[in-house]
This record gives sequence, C-alpha cells and structure tokens, in this order.
Amino acid sequence: MLEISGLQKRYGDVVALDGASFSVARGRMLGFLGPNGAGKTTSMRAIFGLVRLDGGALQWDGRPITNPARLGFGYMPEQRGLYPKMKTKEQIAYFGQLHGMSKAAAVDAAVSWLERLGLGDRLNDPIEALSHGNQQRAQLAAALVHDPELLVLDEPFSGLDPIGAETMADVLRERAAAGSAVLFSSHQLDVVEDLCEDVAIIHEGRVVLDGDVRNLKAASPHRVLEIEVDGDAGDLLRRLDGVRSSTFDGHRYRLLVDADADVRDVLAEADRNRSVQHLSYSTPSLSQLFKEAVT
Amino acid sequence: MSVNDRIATSSDRAVAEGPVPGGRSPRAAPNVLRLVVLRELRTRGLSGSYIISSAVTLLIVLGLIIVPTIFGDSTTTYRLGLVGDGNQPIIDSATALANARSTDSDAQTTFETRAFEDIAAAETAVEEGELEAVLVDGEELVMATTGGLGGSDVQDLVQQAAGTRQVESLVGEERAPEVVDALTTDPLQVRALSGQDAQENEGRAWIAYGGLVLTYMIILGYAVWTLNGVTEEKSNRVIELLLAAAKPWELLAGKILGISLLGLGQFLVTITAALIAIRVTGAFDLPVVPVDMVATLVLWVVLGFGIYMVLSGAAGALASKPEDAQNAMTPISMMAVGSFFLSFAVLDSPDGLAATIGTFVPFTAPFVIPIRAAFQVLPLWQHLLAIAIALVTTGILLRVGGRVYSGGALQFGGRLKWREAFRSAEL
Repeated sequence: MLEISGLQKRYGDVVALDGASFSVARGRMLGFLGPNGAGKTTSMRAIFGLVRLDGGALQWDGRPITNPARLGFGYMPEQRGLYPKMKTKEQIAYFGQLHGMSKAAAVDAAVSWLERLGLGDRLNDPIEALSHGNQQRAQLAAALVHDPELLVLDEPFSGLDPIGAETMADVLRERAAAGSAVLFSSHQLDVVEDLCEDVAIIHEGRVVLDGDVRNLKAASPHRVLEIEVDGDAGDLLRRLDGVRSSTFDGHRYRLLVDADADVRDVLAEADRNRSVQHLSYSTPSLSQLFKEAVT
Repeated sequence: MSVNDRIATSSDRAVAEGPVPGGRSPRAAPNVLRLVVLRELRTRGLSGSYIISSAVTLLIVLGLIIVPTIFGDSTTTYRLGLVGDGNQPIIDSATALANARSTDSDAQTTFETRAFEDIAAAETAVEEGELEAVLVDGEELVMATTGGLGGSDVQDLVQQAAGTRQVESLVGEERAPEVVDALTTDPLQVRALSGQDAQENEGRAWIAYGGLVLTYMIILGYAVWTLNGVTEEKSNRVIELLLAAAKPWELLAGKILGISLLGLGQFLVTITAALIAIRVTGAFDLPVVPVDMVATLVLWVVLGFGIYMVLSGAAGALASKPEDAQNAMTPISMMAVGSFFLSFAVLDSPDGLAATIGTFVPFTAPFVIPIRAAFQVLPLWQHLLAIAIALVTTGILLRVGGRVYSGGALQFGGRLKWREAFRSAEL
C-alpha cells in the first residue's frame, strides 16, 4: 500500500503541493485526476524522491519510502525518454539491472515484455528507429521490466492510438490483477472510469476527492436523469422538485437532480402516457464528479 | 443456447491473468556505478567515433615520429646557378663546411650547379623556382627574396664559404682552417649540472612536448564527451527515468569514470605505440625509455581527468540543449586553453616562477607538472603536494559538481547558472 500524506512543496511563490494526501492499495488501480498544474506530476515525482518536499510523508507498506524500496517501483515519466541510439532490448534490460535484476533475468524479462507489447521483431533496433507509438511501448516495457510492486505512470494514455490504448489498458489491468498497486494520471476521464476502481482528484495542490469510484458516485448528492420521448417532455419534467440543472439537445433532456428528489411519479407518468425512446436514472459520471470537485 | 447464456456473469469480470514476464525475481541492491560505467564503455567504446578518433590520433603521432626518420636529413640538395668565374671554389668550400658540421653521419649536403651565359636567364630561373640562388662572379648572390623567418640555409652556407675563401687569402691556406673554426664553432665546452647528456635532454623535451599536446587533446576532447553525454540525457529526458532508480552522484561518477577509462585507454595505447616507435626508429637517440616521465604523464592525465570531467559533467547538467552546453563549457575550456599556453612558458623555463605557481594550481598542474618532471627540475615534495592538492580539489569538485548536477538534472527550461543549480539541488 502506498500512502501519501500531507505533501507540501513550493517553488518560489508557486504552491505546487498544499497538503496532498491519498493512498493506493495493492491489487487496485487508482486514476489520478486534476487540472493542469494541480500537482499531479510533482506528487508522482515525489514518490521517486525526485522532489525535495517541504513537508509530508510517503510510505510503502507502512514504512517510509527508501531507495531500496524504490527498486520495486516502476515509473513512466510524463516526459518520455530513452537513449535514442541504444538497442531496444539492451536498453530495457539495462533498466531492469538498474532495478536490481541479474543480467540474465533482465534480458529474459526485456525480451518477454517487448514480445508481449508487439516489439518482438525490433529487439535489436535502436530506439530512434522505432515509430512514436512503438517508442511508447518500449517506454512501458522500461517501467514494467522488473515486475514492480508499485507502478506509477504519468499520462500513459496520451498520444496512443486506440490499439495502443487498449494494450496499455490490458497491461495495467493485468498488473493490478497480479497484485501490483497501479497509479496513473490522465485527462481522459472515460478511460479512468472504465479502468479504475479508485480515483483521487487533486486541485491546487490538495486532494479534494478520493476513494472507490462507485462509493464516490453513490455518495454524490446528485443523480442524472435522462429522458427522451416522442413529443415534448418539458411539461412533465417541470413538475419535478430538486432539479439542479438541465440541458435539452432537441430530443433528449438531461437533468441533474438532487439524489433525494422523488422522480418515480414522473417516470411512471412517462411510461404510461408517452412513447419512451430513452430513459435512464444514474449516479453522476466521473466527469460530473470531477467538475464538481474542481469548481 | 438460450438468450440468458449471452448475459455476462460475474466470472467474466475476472481479468485474464497474463503471464508475469520474468517472474518476480529477487532484487539485490544493484551496483549502479558499475552498470553505468559498463554502459558508457559499451556504447561509446564500440562507437565509430571512438574507434576512428583513436586510430587517427595514433596515426598522426606515429607519423610525426616515423616519417622524419625515413625522409629526414639524409641528403639535402641545393640548386645553384653560376654566372661568370670564381664561383666553384666557394661551392667546394660550402659543401665541405656543411658536411663537416653535420652531426648525422648519414646526412649529405650537395650542390647542384648550372652555368648560365647571362645573368637575366639565371634570374628568370630563380624567379620560376628552378634555382634557389645564383652566384655571380664569386661576388654576388641573387635570391628570390631575402630574410623571412629562420633565414636561409643556402645563404648562410654560401656566405660562410665565401668568408672562408677570404680568410684563406688573408692568412694563407695553412692557417685558414683554424681561423674559420674559431669563428664558426662554439669555443667553450658546456657542462650541464642537471640531467644527462644533451641528446637525451632533447629527446625528453620532445616527449614532454608531445605528451603535453596529447594530454591537452585528450582531456579537453573527453571532457566535451562528458558534457554532451550529460546534456543528451537531459535533452532526451531519459534522465528522469535514471534518477528514479539511481542516485545523482552514481550517475555522474559512473559517466565520468566510464568516459575517463576510454580516454585513458586511448592515451595509453597512443603513448605506448609512440615509445615503441621511438625505440625502433631511434628517432630521438634515447638510451632508455624514460619510465619516470611516462609514469608522471599517465598519473597527471588521470588527475586531470578527475578535475576536468567533474566540472564538465556539472556544466552539462546546466544545459537542456546541446547548443547551450557549449556555453556552459566555455569557462572550463578557457581554463584548459590558458593552462596549455602556460605550459609553453614552462617549456621555456621549467624552473621559473610561472612553473612553480602552475604546479600548485590544480587546474594547470596536469599540463605543467609532466614538463617539469621531464626536465627533472620538480622537487619530490612539490610533486607530492601537487598530487594532494589535486586529489582534495577533485573531492571538493565532486561534492559541488554532484550538487550542481542534481540541481540541474530535472530543470529543463533554458540554461541554468552554476549558483542557481547549486541552490536548487533537489535530490
């Protein structure tokens, strides 16, 4: 379990982290969300000791994170980078060795990961000869080669085509299923919603919302009601109490309502007297939670 | 199949558990320093640029030693035009003078003469470069130009020969050789208090000079490799991944050590080949290989690497792009160039004030000390003190440079100042 508590960091007058706290459990995947400049990258760098913190604590399995513990962590920095002229296999194995693997084990692992990620025929090509997408795959292999217990990825989905994104998602799911703690940042909320059990939303250096996605949604004071009927449903919907906001695209109404608002009468009325094309009542999406948390 | 079979069940939720490539192998504390050194040796040592630059340096050094012994001063021929009478006795004297003075028994000086009817034709031949000079009636020497650096051998020889003829006519043929001897050779015997004989000293001076040039080239050349190596790791951003696994000092020291070993390897190969060539060809008439000199040279290349590599590694961390790196390197290059020029003053006066001061300044010492040692004018206590100063300086530079490196390594905007990087060290 990775526990981050009360991180503080200033760069001159700029406050990068202002007491950020959250945790990532083994076997689970946490999506780390926040607007640009909220402190995501600084927090992730802090896990690897790349930032001298002004305050706060980082623990792995209940103990302060030390350099030996970091050997068991895998990292994909926001700014990707490998040695351009070094052969792909040699380079991935080198990072395995830097994390304490024997040379033979590192080479074996490098080859299996590169094959798994579709680079099996590019093992002896220098990184600079690979396409952008393939360089991303090699970068992922560098983060995974030593089978890390904690995987930290800064914007792993940015710049990936749909196939690459699917491979990335599969690998992350698999690592979590194999017992690793997985933490990644993203601006693609649908991807996070699809993949992650947990989220942490950081805003202006503070974590403003974190926990199990389902619980967070359930705990939201709002629900989303979507309705589309033949003809206008406006008269029907105006009878509702507790509507926070609504949109209408010409066919479908989308209402944000209080969680305790009683919508059953309206739904029953619609079901009886209108021809319903679409009807849904749900907890808010992650994107809704995000907007509420950071505004 | 009933429709209900198409509805996913909870067992479908489980993620297909892929193989764990490599397995969770036990993690030993890695020897990062060794890994970094080996990577540098492998990727750079096998690179075309290393092999080619080593080979070219070796060829140049060997060429400078071997070529003069092949084509050197075996036979020198001067082409002279003759107009009128009374020229031949002067030519005979000049030939005798030149061959009597030469220390090398293989060397021969001859004059190739061509008679002309009139002076105009002879002058044209000089102008067209067919002749070096024209001797007219034993009284005038016509040359294309006079003066210039170093004067002209043919002019000196012919003048002396003509002088000899005049002395002969004044004192008579019998006593003439004595008089000429007294006028043209050094009448006093010279006895040096330090060092071996003159020839060995000359050999040592040449090796000191060659060693100096090689030291300068190799230290500055490999310092630039270190500089660019660090900046490249920043510009291609691999540095963040490296720092996530290793400490800054391990990365800096590994790079310095790896590149220094390559430089030292090149230096040792070149100097060994050069010494063998000197022995085989007898280029400098050295009775023995001057082991003391070579040992001092190698020692100070190592110490020089320590100082200049740490500085350039730290400078590399100040820049984010290769074009900025050159600017960050400027003060360090200036220091090396200044030391190089200082060492010429030391060649002139190995025991002078500049030489003594240069011995104790760690940035100039690698260039000054091997020269003083070559001339055997470096007292042991001075040498030991200079080594101590260089080692302490390297230690201090490692701490300061390591901090500048770690401060600069993760800052990617433009070029940092030394002080900024030192203060903002994060790691």
